[in-house]
Amino acid sequence: MRFLISLAWKNLSRYRRRTLITAGALAVGLLFFIFLDGWLQGAARESERNIIWYESGSAKVMTDEYLEDLKSMPLKHAIQDPAAVEQVLEGAGVTTTRRTTFAGEIFHGEGSLYVKVVALDPRTDESIYRLSETVTQGRYLQPGEQGVLLGEWLAQDLGVEVGEEITVRTRTRYGAFQTIDLIVVGVLNSPNPMINKGTAFIPLSLADEVLEMEGAVTELTLYFPEWKNPEEKIQSLRTRLSVLPGITVESWKDLSRDFLMIAQAKSAGSSVLLILVFIIAAVGISNTMLMAVYERVREIGMMRAMGMKDADIRLSFLFEAGGIGLIGAVAGVGLGVIANWLMVRWGIDMSAMMGRVDIGYRVAGVFRAAWHPQAIVAGFIFAIIAAMLFSIIPSSRALRMQITEALRYE
Amino acid sequence: MIRVEKVTKDYTVGQTVVHALRGVSLEIEKGEFISIAGPSGSGKTTLLNLIGCLDKATSGEIYIAEEAVSSKDRKELALLRRKRLGFVFQSFNLIPVLNAYENVSFALSLLGINGSELRERTYGILGEVGLGGMEARLPGELSGGQQQRVAVARALIKEPDVVLADEPTANLDSDTGRDILDLMAALNEKHGTTFVFSTHDRMVMDFAQRLVRLHDGEITSDERRGS
Repeated sequence: MRFLISLAWKNLSRYRRRTLITAGALAVGLLFFIFLDGWLQGAARESERNIIWYESGSAKVMTDEYLEDLKSMPLKHAIQDPAAVEQVLEGAGVTTTRRTTFAGEIFHGEGSLYVKVVALDPRTDESIYRLSETVTQGRYLQPGEQGVLLGEWLAQDLGVEVGEEITVRTRTRYGAFQTIDLIVVGVLNSPNPMINKGTAFIPLSLADEVLEMEGAVTELTLYFPEWKNPEEKIQSLRTRLSVLPGITVESWKDLSRDFLMIAQAKSAGSSVLLILVFIIAAVGISNTMLMAVYERVREIGMMRAMGMKDADIRLSFLFEAGGIGLIGAVAGVGLGVIANWLMVRWGIDMSAMMGRVDIGYRVAGVFRAAWHPQAIVAGFIFAIIAAMLFSIIPSSRALRMQITEALRYE
Repeated sequence: MIRVEKVTKDYTVGQTVVHALRGVSLEIEKGEFISIAGPSGSGKTTLLNLIGCLDKATSGEIYIAEEAVSSKDRKELALLRRKRLGFVFQSFNLIPVLNAYENVSFALSLLGINGSELRERTYGILGEVGLGGMEARLPGELSGGQQQRVAVARALIKEPDVVLADEPTANLDSDTGRDILDLMAALNEKHGTTFVFSTHDRMVMDFAQRLVRLHDGEITSDERRGS
């Protein structure tokens, strides 16, 4: 065995240039794999975090009717007695804040835009959401004021600046038209593009008054530490809430199904891309091993003439290919880790390239990678195994030759 | 030692059947230094390949140390070659990445011999073939004659029953060729190893103790000489 390993290493250095080129192809494949995988992981993880911090918290309590008709955000299906819900959830290990979300049309100058308006309680909202940290112009909302906070892209689209007045037209809980004049108190630039492009925030107490909510809210946002795997927690919350007919709780995963499906589809698409990268590397290895085997047909013939077992000859080529795989894997993982580290540390600012293009991820501006050790280890092992597998066919073909034919081979 | 009984070997080239050997019978005794001579296409390399278990006869039988080889499978033949047969090739066929020591010791490691025995026997045989001090040289750093000496050492180190040499001097100049033949004759005398050559070189024919001539796949003469 030691002899076979030593022979394989010596043959690798005999064709140093070819070994390095093939290992280089493999390393580039692995580098792309680690880079893309890290990037996708980073985008997915950051998106999840941005959904929790800016969009839905860990979960939302709503009425069944409001949930069924979530797209049109009907105020008539609001939670009539949010205090009763809060009381039921006491001691359940969750933080809560009240919100009312409704559809509206914002007018400014001669233009108007349909938007989602979120009425929040500035005193409790920050216990879950992090909107105040993203205010780039003006200031955050204050309770009861006739003010509005706009997403940056929305403010740009409306051509409105801090201190200017806008008008929101909507319907009250009972369906009557209502217009609300508001002063833009701040503009925010959230890492979640959904917030930037079409959401306006107003104080909950103002919405309660002008929309005739009489203390009702459309939702209670919840935060709990087990948000990454919320299923069990949601189940226990549903059990608690079963005492309140018509009230339900939905996890962020259920509320962001669109994102999760897009992320999964992207991940599958990226896997295809990664497979293609590896096929290119595999063709390189296969070609190298084919050349290595056919240049040594006579050598193989001599070894067989001397009585060396076919399995041992095959094994020596396996070790040789494994050596190329190992060099490629070490280089690929090294380069991939460096590239990933740069992406984790600094990321790439995609805002100039992507503008406001929605690619499904809840990430705007700087895309950062994440560490995914399992994929790095799997890529490392896969590269070596794939390299070894690609040596089997050419060496088997050479071993099928008659020894006398192999000894005459030119 | 080696018995060849009515051996034929046919090759099919396209739609033509070539009769490379036509019922050859031959007995080779232990310790013989025998040359199989003949012009190109006479069947001498084919006969050597059959004796070396590198190829299978179309009909007839070959016995090596009373063991019939035709019934043996691929693995058994590999074992037979590993233990009993040594080969010297016209173009040396050394492994280019291994030095002289490693090329020679390779034959012993195939038999599972390692450690101090392997070292002693390898240094010993390399000394015997006149390559003492050149153990670390790669084949590319050796002359043709030196490479053939390594090949002879590789064939002999496992103390085989027979060494089969296919045109061993064909790639060497006449002086170097004579040196190699002197070396093999000396080793034949010292170890009692049987040597079988194929050749069309007059010098090699003159060197042999026994000269078997082949023509068109048949033995035309079998001449024994005094040593």
